[in-house]
This record gives sequence, structure tokens and C-alpha cells, in this order.
Amino acid sequence: MKSIKTPLTVDDIISLKVGDMVSLSGRIFAGRDAVLPKVVKILTQKTPEQCGIYLEGSVIFHTAVSPAGLGPTSSNKAEIESTIPELSRLGVRLHLGKGALSPETIAALNRFGSVYAVVPPVTALLVSKTLTGRVAAFPEEGMEALHELDVVDYPIIIAAAHGSSIYDK
Amino acid sequence: MERNAIIEKVSRTLIEASSTFSESKIKAYHNAVDTETNESSKWVMNTLCDNESAARLNGSPLCDDSGIPHLIVDIGSKRLLSGETLDAIYEGVREGLRRLPGRPMAVLGDDMQRIEQCAGLDSKSEAVVPTPLLLRYLSDEPETLRLTVLMQGGGPEIRAKTYRVFHNHSRKTVADEIVMWAKEAVSLLGCTPCTLAIGIGRSHYEASALMLQAMADGDYAKQNDFEREITQRVNETGVGALGLGGDYSVLASFVRVGPQRASGVRIVCMRPCCCFEPRRASVEL
Repeated sequence: MKSIKTPLTVDDIISLKVGDMVSLSGRIFAGRDAVLPKVVKILTQKTPEQCGIYLEGSVIFHTAVSPAGLGPTSSNKAEIESTIPELSRLGVRLHLGKGALSPETIAALNRFGSVYAVVPPVTALLVSKTLTGRVAAFPEEGMEALHELDVVDYPIIIAAAHGSSIYDK
Repeated sequence: MERNAIIEKVSRTLIEASSTFSESKIKAYHNAVDTETNESSKWVMNTLCDNESAARLNGSPLCDDSGIPHLIVDIGSKRLLSGETLDAIYEGVREGLRRLPGRPMAVLGDDMQRIEQCAGLDSKSEAVVPTPLLLRYLSDEPETLRLTVLMQGGGPEIRAKTYRVFHNHSRKTVADEIVMWAKEAVSLLGCTPCTLAIGIGRSHYEASALMLQAMADGDYAKQNDFEREITQRVNETGVGALGLGGDYSVLASFVRVGPQRASGVRIVCMRPCCCFEPRRASVEL
């Protein structure tokens, strides 16, 4: 199994192939439908320094962070999938969730040098591999705020990379 | 049984339902891992089993959608179910949600606000109230008073379906309809491999209640011909674990057939339970 650690580099992304089972460690963001459109909007109005959100080389995990833990929501929800191209352009190198993405989104990932990975909905396991967490932005969204997590060895599988998808039949 | 003892038993049962697989489900997963030919799906199912070990160890949720509590009470002729006992059961549910902890997802507000989800969420896990309980009379178990707790996640509710089937006096017609619904639902569910829970009755209420009983009573190790047929036909889709392709889109089917109406229609409820469901546990009270 490959291991990768944030911040992710261009070489990291080039080395990843569809179907790779990967161990992910480092600081990652967590957010879903309520907050990701807000992240896109604020970063089109302000610089990372002004809003304190630095996306270059980052990972965004499509999840809420609640007392029950965390687990992937469907990445093909309109309010999530629609943010993937712009967040990739802004520096997110790996989007982490579940479910098949559209061919347009997969093409956008390729265009901006990013990939998409699926994480099984293994809440108990993910909690045991999450060392710390804090709200990074938009605290008014509660468990759907943008969180920053310090994680070790998250089990993920690369589902879309370099224009290909694991869901292609 | 004293109130505090009931509260403790119910609380522990809710946590067990939320954090463990039954023995027969563990065996079903191990069998699937051993025979799955798609390496990605095999990896996913192994990870799901690792998750169960972690959840069991910590008494923590298998999934962050910890679910809505559904309760079934089985009672024999020599037992009483008083309002006091029911009150203790409901307090036990609240205590279980607090200790788990459950996801705080009770929607605040009046009728219209709750529909629109515009007045926020209650921050307390225990604010998630159970659905109305289902009562079953056990004519052959006079001394029994048993509670079963099921925790129902949101994904399967999106994909479940309750509708009429014109049977044409043919079990094949009913099976064909169920398989057609299930193939679509399983391909969209996301969290596969699933377990299909199916109730066949005379009304939408009865079919849904039968589906819930199928979830409570179904056994991965005891599948009848009808259940095996549905499982095999849906697995031909090749959806696989998490939709990554493979041999196991469905681990098993649990079918409960109730009394039927003298007519050309059967009401069928089909719920594609996610990879962790049925999240269930029972306790004798």
C-alpha cells in the first residue's frame, strides 16, 4: 500500500493511479455541502492570507464532524461536486468522499492536477486515526463547519486520476 | 424489573446495536472477502470488518450517521407492559444516545420549520426521538418481554420503496418487481454491500412493519429459496462494495411475508440496508 502525507506535491499526484490503495496522513480539511460553496466564494473575494484558508497541496474530506464521528457523504451531491473544479484550481490536490463523479468533474480534476479518492464509511476506524481536530472557518455551520484534522493512515482508494475513473465500466 | 435496571439494559442494547455486527453477519462478510474476485471490493470489505472491530472495542458508532432508533417489543401472554415500563425504555434510549454518542440530528421548530430545516438542530444526541414502537404478541412464548433496537440510517431511507405490485398469481412477478427496484436502489446506494429487507403485506403500513421485522429477525445463515434468488439476481449487477465493482453488491435478503389481501395486489416494502445494517440488538426485560 502506498503512503502519502500532506501537503501533497505534484509528484505525489502524478504517482497516483486509479485503484491504488493508499494510506493518507497529515493535516486535512473536512467539509461538505453547507460549507464548501462558502469556501469557494470567500477565496474568490479574499486571499488565503486574508481569510486564513490555505488550500495549496491540501486534501478536503467530504464529511461533517459530529460527536458521533466522521464519515464520507456522497461527493456527487450538487453542492459538493460543483465545488470540486474550483477548489482544485485553488490548490486542493485530493478530494476525498464516496460515489461516482461526472465525466465533466473528472476532466476538471485532470485539468487542474488533482485526484479524487473514496474512503469507506468506517467511522470508528477513522476516529481512531484522527489525532486532533479544530474548526478552521465558518463556525456557524456547526458540525458542517470547515474543520482541520490531523490524521494518520486513513485507508483510501484512488477513484479518479489523470482523466480515468474506477467507476468506468 | 426496576426502572434503573431497564434504563441500563436498554442503553446498552442501543449501543450494541450501533457498534457491532451479529455473529452471522461477521461470517457473511468473511465469506464474501474470501470469495470476492474484485480486489478493490475485497479491500473495502476487509476495511469494513476492521471498522467493526474498532467500534466494538470502543462501543462507538459504526457510522457517523448513527441512525434513528426504531423499537420492537415482543410480549407473551403472562407479561405486562405498563406505561412506567415504556417510560423507562424511552429513557434508556436517551441514555444510550448520550453515551454512544449519537449524531445530534434532531430538527428544531414547528411543523413547517422542521420540514424546511430552517430553525436549526438540537445539539443534544438524545434529542433524536425514536419512531412509534412496534408491538408483537408472542402466543408461544408466554414469559417473554423482549425489546429489539434498530438504528436506521438515512441513505437506505432515500433508496427504499413501498409500492403496490399486481402479482398475476405468480411469485415470479413479485420477485421480478423486487429485483428491478433493488437493482436500481443498490446501484445508487453508495454504501454497499447491502442487505435487502423486504416486507410483503396488505397495506403500506403493514408492508413497512414487515420490512422492519425482517431486519430484526433475518439471519444471514438461514436463507430460503426466495431470498437466495433475489440476492443472486441483484448481485448480477456487479455493483460491488462501495460501487467499485465486484461479486457482492448484496450479502443477503431478509423477506417477511404477512397475511395477504384477497385481491390482485400485494404491497411491497423494499429497503436496501447499508453495509452496516441491520444495526440491531435485543434484550430480555
